[in-house]
Amino acid sequence: MSDIKTVLDETPFQTAGPFLHIGCLPNAINIEGVFDNDLGVKPFANKHYDKFITITGSVFDGDGKALDDIMLETWQSDENGVYSPESGFARFVPNSLTKKFNLYTLKPGFINNIDGKAQSPHILLSISSRGLNMTLNTRIYFEGDDLINDPLLSIVKNSRNDVSSLIAKKIDEDIYLFDIFLQGDKETIFLDI
Amino acid sequence: MVEALIKRNLKTHPQLNFPDYKSSRLRAPKNKKISFSSTSTEISGPVFKKDIIGKLDNDLTLNFSKNNILPIGHKIIVFGTISDQFANPIEGALIEIWQANAAGKYLHHNDNNTAPVDPNFAGCGRYITSSKGYYEFITIQPGPYPYPNRGIEWRPMHIHFSVFGKSFGQRLITQMYFEGDPLINSCPMVNSISDKKAKQSLISTLDTSRYNTKKLLSYKFDIILRGTNQTFFENRKEGL
Ligand SMILES: [Fe+3]
Repeated sequence: MSDIKTVLDETPFQTAGPFLHIGCLPNAINIEGVFDNDLGVKPFANKHYDKFITITGSVFDGDGKALDDIMLETWQSDENGVYSPESGFARFVPNSLTKKFNLYTLKPGFINNIDGKAQSPHILLSISSRGLNMTLNTRIYFEGDDLINDPLLSIVKNSRNDVSSLIAKKIDEDIYLFDIFLQGDKETIFLDI
Repeated sequence: MVEALIKRNLKTHPQLNFPDYKSSRLRAPKNKKISFSSTSTEISGPVFKKDIIGKLDNDLTLNFSKNNILPIGHKIIVFGTISDQFANPIEGALIEIWQANAAGKYLHHNDNNTAPVDPNFAGCGRYITSSKGYYEFITIQPGPYPYPNRGIEWRPMHIHFSVFGKSFGQRLITQMYFEGDPLINSCPMVNSISDKKAKQSLISTLDTSRYNTKKLLSYKFDIILRGTNQTFFENRKEGL
């Protein structure tokens, strides 16, 4: 493989703005009849619901206000830690009254990484909205899992003392809480993926 | 062979903290993002099948029209290619677009602009790229619109783009502008990108070679998603 290939610049990001639902979730804002279905409504359409967990939470701005004009997207493996292109993607918005999002999905398994090492179960989460000039990315890990040997958490620990913003708290059987803080003392750790 | 995403060059992207764009003040995180080499999580991603795309999904002049009444405004073609940073065309990339109508109004409950809604225009479209990474939309030239920022400012005419490539790490959300629009230079969202060439790459160009084929003004907007490279593990190149 040649090492002298020209590397073009990636097209830059721009904010998704406040009206992103029109393009990404039109049916959710009652623009009906253009697309049959919004994408990512169910991350695993063909799996058994009795195995599902709920991840709930809010996204807070620098004033501590819970936001609802945002879009969240998640990408994850199945319960065996396998990524497949047909499933594992979800797209959702917080409820406009409660400002909480609910992701109803499978709990991912331990994931075999490209270097042969295992990654602890996690979900990649991205946030797009007005005021964000680039989409933000973070990961949801799970309280109660073995997180000691996870390669990414080890890298994060090299520069941050507290990695707890990446770990969803178990608040009930099969229910996890994952709040996201865009700014402030509790600012969530974001990843340059 | 293991392929990993090449590192993102943040110099060609917008600054997250850009106070001229008021909404960024309370939303842009203050801490630096954590960098790491790709894992199986970022190099994989959802792939959308062509059968999700309906016949009119990429024709915004028809996909919301009632009784075949066309939306108001002048009809344009927006087209281009999606390729990676090594100029390899990306087939099967999903593009979703959204935009204001000719009067600068979005079909959205949060749009407070007093301009009129067009009952025949929703402003959304989607497409999956062909084998050469090609895409095309037929739409209406979006109008500029006012929004509160430093007082009232005006957005240049633009179309929002969301793109999925082969992996989640290639995911891109951006905006396309129109060559010659005098509002581009003063737009704080555009100016959140400091690199001149990067800024320029968001401005579509009028393609006069297509004047006679469809009798529509055509704008070309090519998109480049992140490329992948061989990666090293434990000082040894995998798969060689
Ligand atoms: Fe806009």
